[in-house]
Amino acid sequence: MIQNVLSRIGGVGNYGVISICLFFVVFVGVLVWTFSLKPSYISEMRALPLDGAAPEPDADLTPNPGD
Amino acid sequence: MRAGNRGGPGVETFKYDNAIVRAFAIATVIWGLVGMAAGLLAATQMFWPALNMKLQFITFGRLRPLHTNAVIFAFVGNGMFMGVYYSLQRLCKARMFNDLLSWVNFWGWQAIIVSAAITLPLGLTTSKEYAELEWPIDIAIAVVWVIFTVNMFGTILRRRERHMYVAIWFYIATALTVAVLHIVNSMEVPASLFKSYSMYAGVQDALVQWWYGHNAVAFFLTTPYLGLMYYFLPKAASRPVFSYRLSIIHFWGLIFIYIWVGPHHLLYTALPDWAQSLGMVFSVMLVAPSWGGMLNGLLTLRGAWDKVRQDPMLKFMVAAVTAYGMATLEGPTMAIKSVWLFPRLYNTKLWSIKLANYHFWIALLGMVFYVVPIYVAGVTEGMMWKQFNKDGFLQYPNFLEVVQSIIPMYVLRAVGGILYLSGVVLMAFNLYKTAKSGQFQPDQEAQAAPLTREGASDEHSHGHRWLEAKPMTFTVLALVAVLIGGMVEIIPLWLVKQNVPTIASVKPYSSLELLGRDIYIREGCLGCHSQMVRPFRSETERYGEYSKAGEFVYDHPFTWGSKRTGPDLHRVGGKYPDAWHYNHMDDPRSTSPGSIMPRYPWLLTQTLDTACLPSRIKALRSVGVPYPAGYENGPAQKELEAQAAKVVGNRRRLPRRRNERLIVCEASNRLTKQEKRTGQIP
Repeated sequence: MIQNVLSRIGGVGNYGVISICLFFVVFVGVLVWTFSLKPSYISEMRALPLDGAAPEPDADLTPNPGD
Repeated sequence: MRAGNRGGPGVETFKYDNAIVRAFAIATVIWGLVGMAAGLLAATQMFWPALNMKLQFITFGRLRPLHTNAVIFAFVGNGMFMGVYYSLQRLCKARMFNDLLSWVNFWGWQAIIVSAAITLPLGLTTSKEYAELEWPIDIAIAVVWVIFTVNMFGTILRRRERHMYVAIWFYIATALTVAVLHIVNSMEVPASLFKSYSMYAGVQDALVQWWYGHNAVAFFLTTPYLGLMYYFLPKAASRPVFSYRLSIIHFWGLIFIYIWVGPHHLLYTALPDWAQSLGMVFSVMLVAPSWGGMLNGLLTLRGAWDKVRQDPMLKFMVAAVTAYGMATLEGPTMAIKSVWLFPRLYNTKLWSIKLANYHFWIALLGMVFYVVPIYVAGVTEGMMWKQFNKDGFLQYPNFLEVVQSIIPMYVLRAVGGILYLSGVVLMAFNLYKTAKSGQFQPDQEAQAAPLTREGASDEHSHGHRWLEAKPMTFTVLALVAVLIGGMVEIIPLWLVKQNVPTIASVKPYSSLELLGRDIYIREGCLGCHSQMVRPFRSETERYGEYSKAGEFVYDHPFTWGSKRTGPDLHRVGGKYPDAWHYNHMDDPRSTSPGSIMPRYPWLLTQTLDTACLPSRIKALRSVGVPYPAGYENGPAQKELEAQAAKVVGNRRRLPRRRNERLIVCEASNRLTKQEKRTGQIP
C-alpha cells in the first residue's frame, strides 16, 4: 500500500532526504544557538520569574491559622 | 489600566489584574469537583452498571465523555487560564491587554462547559474522543480561543520586559497549535442544529482524530503546564531554573516532535503501516525532550529538598514533574498550584499546611490506586485475549471470562477515585478558609520601566535572543515547526483517500442502518466497544476476518473506538439473530451472564424519529457518501420501514430468553471457526 500511495506523489524519493536534512538542521541549529548564548544573558533570563517577586506571605514562622 | 509615572524617571506604575485570576481559580476548583465526581460515578458503573439509576442521561456511554470533557477542558482548561493570566502579566510586567477580552474569555469558556454538560448527557455528540461537542459549540470554542490568543499577544506586545521568558514560548505554542488542531479536526457538515457528520471518512477520520487527540494531550494538557512549571517551580522554590539552555532545547524538541506521534493510537489498525511506523519512531524520540524537561524541573530543586519536605506545594510539583516524565500525568496534579496562588491572591497564608499535606498524600495514594490496577487489568486482559491452549484454540474464547477476571481491578480503581476526590474536597475547604482569612486584592500595583525602541530592537541581536525578542517572528517559526509534522501526516492522508482499495460489496448504510449507527454514536457505545479487528490470529479466531481500510469509506465519522471493555463489534452484524439483540439490549445479563454492560430498555420503547432522515442523508451525500439522487424523498423512508418490519418479524418468530443458546447454535453458520470448533459461544 505504501508504494501505491507514494508512487502518486511526484519526486517522492527526495522526501525522505529532505526530512532527514530538515531534522538535522533544526536540531543542530537549536543546539548551536543554545550553546552560543552569553552566560550573562542566561543568568538574566533565569532570574526573570523571581524578579520583582511579591513578598512571600508565608515566609514568617508563625503557625498557619488552620494548623 | 493607564500607566502612571510616579515611580521615578522612566518608571511606570501599573496594576496586575488579579480578579480574572481568582475567577479562573474558583472555576478550576468547582469544575474539578464536578468532573472528578462524574469520573467516580463512571468508574463505579464499570462494575455496577445499575448505578445509572435507569437514566439514559447518566449511563456510562454518555457519562464518560462528560467526565473526560469536564476534567480536560473545564478543570485543566480553567487551571491553565488561571496560571497563564497570573504568570503572563508578571513575566511581561504588564496588565492583560484588555479587561473586556479577559472576561469574555472567562464567561465564554464557562458557557461552553455548561453547554457541554447539557448536550453530552442528551446524547448530542460527534463521538470523536475529546472532540465530542457538536458544531455550534465547536464554533464557540474557536471564537473564545481566538479572544484568548488576541489578549495574550496584545499583552506580549505591550510588555515592559525586553525578553520573553521560556514559559511564554510554551503559551504561544499552545495558543497556535490548539487552534490548528481544533479547526482541522472539527471540520464537519451539519445535518441539524445538534447533529453533524465529520468531513473525513474511515481511515482519514481516524488519523485526523488521533493527530488531534494526541496533540490535545500535548498542547492543551502538556505545553501550557510546562510553561507554568518553568514559572511556578522556580518561584515556589525561590531559585532559578536549573538550566535555561536545557529549557530552550526542551521547547524546540518538544513542539517539533510531539506533533508527529498521533498514529501510535492506531497501531495494527487499518491505518497504512508507514503512518504507524512514523508515529512510533517519533514517540520514542519524544522521550528525550520529555525527560530533559523533567530533569530540568527536578534539578531546579537541588539544594531545596528541605523545602519540599515542608511545603506541600513543592510536593505536588515534584510528584507532577516526575509523573510527567513517567506518563505525562502532570496536568491534574499541577493544577494544584491553586494552593500556591490562593494565599497570594488573598494576601494571606495558606489556612492549613497540615491539611494541604494530607491532601497531597491522599491524592498520591489515590493515583496509585487507580493507575496500578488499570495497568494490571490491561496486561491481564491482553494476555488472556491472546492465550492459545495446546490444541491451538483460544484459551478464553468467551470474552466474559476476561471481563470477569478484571472486575476486582475496576473496584480498586474506583477506590482510588474516592481517595483522589476526597483529597480535592480537602483542598477546596482549605482554599475556602484561606480566602475567608485574607483580603482579596483585585489589582496589585507594580512598577517597571517601559520598553524603549533601542531596548526592543536589541543592541546585541543575534541567535535566540533576537528571535524571542520578536514575538511575531518567533510565533511564525513555532507554527512552522508544528505545521511540518501535521502536513507530512495529512498530505499523504489525502492521497491515501484515492488509494484505499475499494471493496465492491461495501455499500453506504441503508436508511435504517444509518439511524442505528447514529444511535450507536448517541449512546456512546464506542466508549467500550471497538470496531477494528486487528490482523492477528488471536483476533481473527475470536472475532472473524480482520478489518480493512476499504470497509470504512462511508463511515463519517469512523467508529473504531479506542478501548475494549466489551468485545469488538465489527463482525457482529448477522452473527446473532435479531431476537438475541432485542433481549441483550433489554438486559445484557439475560443473554450474557456476568456481563457488565448497562441495560438499554429505552431503546425498546422510544419511537425512532425518522423525520431527520432527509437532512442526514443530504449531509452525508455532501461529504461524499453516494446515496442515489432523490433517495431521501420517499425511498429512504420506505426502505427503512421494510427493513424494520423484517427485523420485527424475526423477533416474533423466535422464542424469547431461555433458548438463546439454541437459537445461536441454529445460526452457527454465522459463527467464527473457533466457535464452531469448540461449541462455546460468547
